[in-house]
Amino acid sequence: MPDVLRQYEAEIWRAISETFFMVGVSIVAAVLIGLPIGTYLFLCGKEKLLENRIVYNILNLVVNTIRSFPFLLLVVFLIPFTRFIVGTAIGTVAATVPLSIIAIAHYARLVEQSLLDVPKGVIEAAVSMGASVRRIIFSFLFVEARSGLVLGLTTSIVSFISYSTIMGVVGGGGIGDFAIRYGYQQFKTDLMLYMILIMIILVQLIQMFGTTAARWLDKR
Amino acid sequence: MIQLQQVTKKFGSFVAVQDVSLTIAKGEIHGLIGASGAGKSTLLRLMNLLEVPDSGAVVINGQQLTASRNAELRKARKSIGMIFQHFHLVANKTVHDNVEIALVLANYPKKLRKVRVLECLKFVGLEQFANQYPAQLSGGQKQRVAIARALANETAVLLCDEPTSALDANTSAEILRVLQKVNVELGVTIVLVSHELDVVKSICHRATVLDAGQIYETVELTPDGILETSQHPQSFVDQLVKGGIGHA
Repeated sequence: MPDVLRQYEAEIWRAISETFFMVGVSIVAAVLIGLPIGTYLFLCGKEKLLENRIVYNILNLVVNTIRSFPFLLLVVFLIPFTRFIVGTAIGTVAATVPLSIIAIAHYARLVEQSLLDVPKGVIEAAVSMGASVRRIIFSFLFVEARSGLVLGLTTSIVSFISYSTIMGVVGGGGIGDFAIRYGYQQFKTDLMLYMILIMIILVQLIQMFGTTAARWLDKR
Repeated sequence: MIQLQQVTKKFGSFVAVQDVSLTIAKGEIHGLIGASGAGKSTLLRLMNLLEVPDSGAVVINGQQLTASRNAELRKARKSIGMIFQHFHLVANKTVHDNVEIALVLANYPKKLRKVRVLECLKFVGLEQFANQYPAQLSGGQKQRVAIARALANETAVLLCDEPTSALDANTSAEILRVLQKVNVELGVTIVLVSHELDVVKSICHRATVLDAGQIYETVELTPDGILETSQHPQSFVDQLVKGGIGHA
């Protein structure tokens, strides 16, 4: 192991664990909240099962607005909300709030797009068999779109890792923050490069796992 | 068994089906034929309310579907099977699971599902394909899986929307034989939409000719062709189906 890594080993492990924590919470938020929102967005769309233009337009506007915010400004803009939710606007836990908000919006849009790829005929067949909306979602839509949903989540996780590097602004820590503070600001370019290498390896592993899982799930 | 009473369906200003009344008896194979845009698929989809009529009533097995609430309609649909031109199987489910889903929706006892699925697959000659995925099957095999799925819940009525249009002649004949077997052995009432007169003539007991959303005539059929009781010569119907009359 290079000397510089050995010297900062404890800090590096802490930074990695902070990144994992922030990204982990945002993944949970994306799946638990983004997936239902994306599904509802799809169902409220034109000529869909729960067509509702008002609900669709509102959800669409909210999702687009959050996604179009420059992330750094979103973090700052959400400080009062973050303080309201977790009691503080500083630290790793506080950093998970804006990260989760962007994660929800990001994944909701990808979920909607994945569900749009499900052949209309499959939904029609489900309706003709007397399936309820709940059954159509779980037994038809999610089954047919599962590889797209996994690929979408993989893409999202890679984006969350990228977003997490900014969280040093609110004391969130993480690999990106460590690379800036120890590598860039203290002129330890080699340390910064090692941190970038760690992130590249992390993203490669996630993408490889996601692509393999999606391919395994896709029987079309 | 199936009664349509003065049913009308419009899409915007286009009248797809106009004031159609039709009764189809239990155990009958009834064909709906006509040129493209004549309203035959819309009429079929009105029978299980995939399309909701603007006016008129749809009665199946004595239940007025047009007056049913959502839950009642869903329940009624579980005993009305439907197959489509492009099969509409769930590509990420195995053949077994595609058939089983009809039983799951009907709350069929879990312990009996596997036996019932294999029974249905055996009926259509596909029991050895239970663990395959639709992508591994030919078009004809996919349609037979769709038939098995439609029949799984001891269906009384089977609606067929151009079931052979995406298939070659030999496979079409094979599917028609399966449908005939469904009718003869299980007593299922079948409504078959096709733009191919030969398909309708080969298995239907009666056929309704549609033109511009209205019933032109209903004729009785024998394996030899349209009976002489028809108001019009067969060549006229042939031309109508090909779009040669009133569509020039």
